[in-house]
Amino acid sequence: MSTTILVVEDDGLIRMDLADTLADQGFAILEAGNADEAIEILEQTPLIHALVTDIDMPGSMNGLELARHVAEIRPDCAIAVISGRYSPSQGALPAKARFLSKPVTEEVVAHTLKALGVM
Amino acid sequence: MDQWSVELKTLTNVMLGSLQPMLMVWGPSQVTLYNDGYAAMCGNRHPDAFGQSFQSLWHDIWEDVEPIITAAYRGEGTSMDDIQFTMYRNGYPEETHFAFSYTPVRDPWGTVLGMFCACTEITTEVMTRRAEKTLRDRFMQVFELSPGGIAMLAGPEHRFEYANEEYYSMIGASRDIIGKTVAEAVSEVVRQGFIGILDSVYRTGEAFVARALPIELNRGPDGEMQRRLIDLVYQPMRNDAGAINGILVQARDVTELRAEEARQELLSHELGHRLKNQLAMVQAIAFQTLRNAPDISTARKRLSERISVLSDAHDTILEGGRGASTVRQLVDQMIILHDDPAQPRIRIVGPNLKVGSRPALSVSLILHELATNALKYGALSSPEGSIDISWRVAGNAKDRFEMEWQEVGGPPITNPSKQGSGTRLISAGLNGTINSNVKMVYEPDGLRCFITADLETFQREH
Repeated sequence: MSTTILVVEDDGLIRMDLADTLADQGFAILEAGNADEAIEILEQTPLIHALVTDIDMPGSMNGLELARHVAEIRPDCAIAVISGRYSPSQGALPAKARFLSKPVTEEVVAHTLKALGVM
Repeated sequence: MDQWSVELKTLTNVMLGSLQPMLMVWGPSQVTLYNDGYAAMCGNRHPDAFGQSFQSLWHDIWEDVEPIITAAYRGEGTSMDDIQFTMYRNGYPEETHFAFSYTPVRDPWGTVLGMFCACTEITTEVMTRRAEKTLRDRFMQVFELSPGGIAMLAGPEHRFEYANEEYYSMIGASRDIIGKTVAEAVSEVVRQGFIGILDSVYRTGEAFVARALPIELNRGPDGEMQRRLIDLVYQPMRNDAGAINGILVQARDVTELRAEEARQELLSHELGHRLKNQLAMVQAIAFQTLRNAPDISTARKRLSERISVLSDAHDTILEGGRGASTVRQLVDQMIILHDDPAQPRIRIVGPNLKVGSRPALSVSLILHELATNALKYGALSSPEGSIDISWRVAGNAKDRFEMEWQEVGGPPITNPSKQGSGTRLISAGLNGTINSNVKMVYEPDGLRCFITADLETFQREH
């Protein structure tokens, strides 16, 4: 069974790019355009190994709030938070989450997921 | 001298024995006698003037002197603290000032024998005072022209001695402050601790300097309180003995400046964010182009075209100002590139609808990809083909944006077995919107593409 990653990004192009990059590395990808869509997917999908989410998105919650929510309901889920606007303080992120600054490269994403234990 | 009267002898002795400049004018012919002190005031007319008539000594100012000497001979004394003459006593005109008294000298029977004058030339003192006043006026001008507020406080009770116009404008122009203490004139600063700071500066001699200090001042048109930010300096002032006798206040209202700096910082941060997002967008376009291109030459051409479309869309966004670009502008931009005005084949219908910057880039890119596909495989690849583009506000709550691309008259098409990079970029939808959806239907008579998104986020600037 391949490792499943939920990619949450409101910019369709960037989401597509990220999804394709991760798919090329052998991951199974689920895509959401905002936190509300992501929560729907989480409710329908029992096993998601990692969440990769943008921060600044329209919808009922932003990516940081989504990351904190996921850390609470899925403590085993690895979390990477991406933004071109914010550089969240360590306290703002869930304990084990990592932050990546846009634009992210394939190598940085791969390295981060590896550091988070997602293989 | 044996024939001199007692009065003349006595006064001559007094005059010659005095260090103060003195003069006597004697007899009907007004013979002039003076001592060494007065001789110095005669310039190069001494010693010739000694013993001559008073008029011959002061011929150049006689018009001014004559009424006074005549009055003295009539028995009327004259005393003046400062009389100004323009004299030629040294061969050139010079402004001179004197303090003097002309006293009639009488014999025992009351007849006026002559005039006795004790005199001091005060030209140097007058010039010094004038220079000091000029300097003081110049300093005052500097204070008045200063872009910052300046006030001078005197004494330990901090009493206003001076305030420039900018200072008045800062604290409220209609206030009457000169002669009053700070606590009386600007009473609202007492509870804010400013009197304590002034006391400390006066007591210790150490200046107080603060940047962007919050202060509440009753400076509104009707004396209402306003919160301002000021740069403030309290500088102790000292007298000649070095003792502190006042405080110089320099204050500058930086409320608007700080607000502008905050706006600039926000703008700079926003620009940085946009740049990063757009780099990420270009990165994604490059990735999609490269992974699907058959060869490097095609990839280079397609990537160049796509980045050019983004650049043009940026121009449109910037031309109208943030949030002012419309769907029609973006469609027109595509038509200029892909249609022939002499034989137009693209028809458009749609309202004047604003579009936010992020969705605007996506609309431009999608239209470009659709047009490129139409030229290669669709309606624009045959002479009879044409395209209808329409957009509208839809939904029961009028909360959806809809756009439709309908190709007709082109060669028959089928659903492609593999998605190219153009189709992938189209299916990415509209950036920055909620519930964006792109549906492509390959109908036999031409491609139909439906693009929808939440209207509020489609039009929002973010």
